[in-house]
Amino acid sequence: MTKRTRLFLFVSVGILVAGLGTGLVAAYVGGFQNLNFLGTSSPDELAYLPSDAKVVAFANVREIMDSELHQKLQALAPRNGDGLARFEEETGVDVTRDVDYVLGAIGGDTAAGPNQGHPLVIARGRFDTVRIEGLVLSKGGTVEDYKGVRLLKVAEPTGGMDAALAFVEPGLIAMGAQDAVRRAIDARKGGTASAAGNEELVRLVKQADDGNAWVVARFDALSAAGQLPPDVLQRLPAINWLTVTGHVNGGIRAAIRAETRDEAAAKNLRDVLQGILALAKLQSGQRADVAAIMDSIELGGEGKNVTLGLAVPIEVIDQLASLRTPGSLAPPAAPQPPQAPEPPTAP
Amino acid sequence: MSARPALPVPPTFAAGAARVFNLSLGEMLWSRRTVFLLLVTGAPVFLAVVARVVQGSGLVPLRVNGAAVDGGSIFGMMIWVFFLRFIVPVLGVFYGTSLMADEVEDRTITYLFTRPIRRGAVLVGKYLAYLVCTSLVVLPSVVLVYFLLVPIGQVARTFLAFAADLGLLALGLAAYGALFALVGAALKRPLVSGLVFVFGWEQIALLVPGYLKRFTVAHYVQSLVPHAMPSEGVAAVLQSVLRDNPPALVCVLVLAALVVATLWLGVKAVESREYVLEQ
Repeated sequence: MTKRTRLFLFVSVGILVAGLGTGLVAAYVGGFQNLNFLGTSSPDELAYLPSDAKVVAFANVREIMDSELHQKLQALAPRNGDGLARFEEETGVDVTRDVDYVLGAIGGDTAAGPNQGHPLVIARGRFDTVRIEGLVLSKGGTVEDYKGVRLLKVAEPTGGMDAALAFVEPGLIAMGAQDAVRRAIDARKGGTASAAGNEELVRLVKQADDGNAWVVARFDALSAAGQLPPDVLQRLPAINWLTVTGHVNGGIRAAIRAETRDEAAAKNLRDVLQGILALAKLQSGQRADVAAIMDSIELGGEGKNVTLGLAVPIEVIDQLASLRTPGSLAPPAAPQPPQAPEPPTAP
Repeated sequence: MSARPALPVPPTFAAGAARVFNLSLGEMLWSRRTVFLLLVTGAPVFLAVVARVVQGSGLVPLRVNGAAVDGGSIFGMMIWVFFLRFIVPVLGVFYGTSLMADEVEDRTITYLFTRPIRRGAVLVGKYLAYLVCTSLVVLPSVVLVYFLLVPIGQVARTFLAFAADLGLLALGLAAYGALFALVGAALKRPLVSGLVFVFGWEQIALLVPGYLKRFTVAHYVQSLVPHAMPSEGVAAVLQSVLRDNPPALVCVLVLAALVVATLWLGVKAVESREYVLEQ
């Protein structure tokens, strides 16, 4: 090996080592955030969610707010900012700027619907803890120390759900039903099992993580909520889990994945969906914008999985938005009737 | 009557490969191809320097519909667009296919094959030299781009993804290099076949629904990327919709198996093939 080859190797390895060393020190000092790398964005906050969660949902608020689509929709129809402005005034939180992502779950009895479980929302962002605590206290809330975490409790005047909010980590808030928030703190401290230990749920979350918003739900929880007509439920093959992944950027792309009980049920479901899609495509032939969306729908999946993917490009959203502009929905004005001819004058 | 002196023991396969590696590394580093390598890997560094200068002057280097894109996101975009989709496969094709083909073209293969080392060791030694040469140019370039684009305050949040980037790029170089080393050892016009594979087959297979994408290297390498795929163009949207990410461990195992299998087949091809030098 010549001297200049050795010099090259020395410089290259030096840059690599210096870069990795600097990064390692900076990451160590900063507390190694985002350990969820290697092709997955499944949040670490799964450790706060109950192991029996029947619905888990995630939204990367930062990405969605920064998306081209959001900017465009904002320009087309500026949001009525009164509610958000009031919320920001009271809490100091600008939802469009201060919240990075939110993760929600409903745990509890599997047989019960999503509405009957214990809801929990985990939000990562930059929060003014003093201001939020002050607000809760001013509304009659109380503060409790629960395993070293300040738990802000609010009882509903109607006697409904008792809510709680806890600053579980710097920049991380857990809020929801009091039981759910206490369980979240227990789970993080290793007192109870968490969703991070539920292998089936973690597998599904990892499958859904390529979108900036997703929902993973047990199908029986959805059906127990009574959201689906009994006739439809009877005809549907046995579905165990349902995953909906959405990615919002220039346009929207979404994928719905159903995991059925067995391969026969999956085939059955694919056949049902294929029929529905064919019918829908026939119906949408007259509308170019709807036809574009229908054409993008892709039915697939193998084994016990059935997937349905669709993409809505920004052009189609523009087209749909243009229909909402004032006057565009009104039919064109009818032409004026021709004036009646003058009656002939008497000679 | 004195005994005949014992013949020197030929070096083992590993020792033979190490000698070829030592010889080839210098040749590879100071060849004309390295100029191309430096130009290709220098482009992202240059763009990162420009972005840094723009940022330093108080301007935002990249906006999407008015919203400023932060350094970490620009870095992720560059990993996808420059390194994964172009630099890694192209270097794999150009270097991998030429490991044996260059020796045939320069008619120097005879000198290597008359050495007392196994023919397969020549391929393995050259492959290792390719891996060291390309990795030590590509990875430092990624390090420079990272530290130019990502503010030090964001390093804690992005460091592990950055480390994963370095690992997957090294794995990608290893996989593409081994595959095209086999192509170079077995086929007569390896460069054309390699380019057709990278810019034809892989691009189409990634857009076709079903299992065809499993027969590409890009599918496994891209599944390891910790950054969101940039969604520019119809092809990218289609690819992201049809994307089906296998678990990271599966990807790493498949790529490692690909490296071992293609290198082994390459060794077999070199040892059995008769190279005819054109006059």
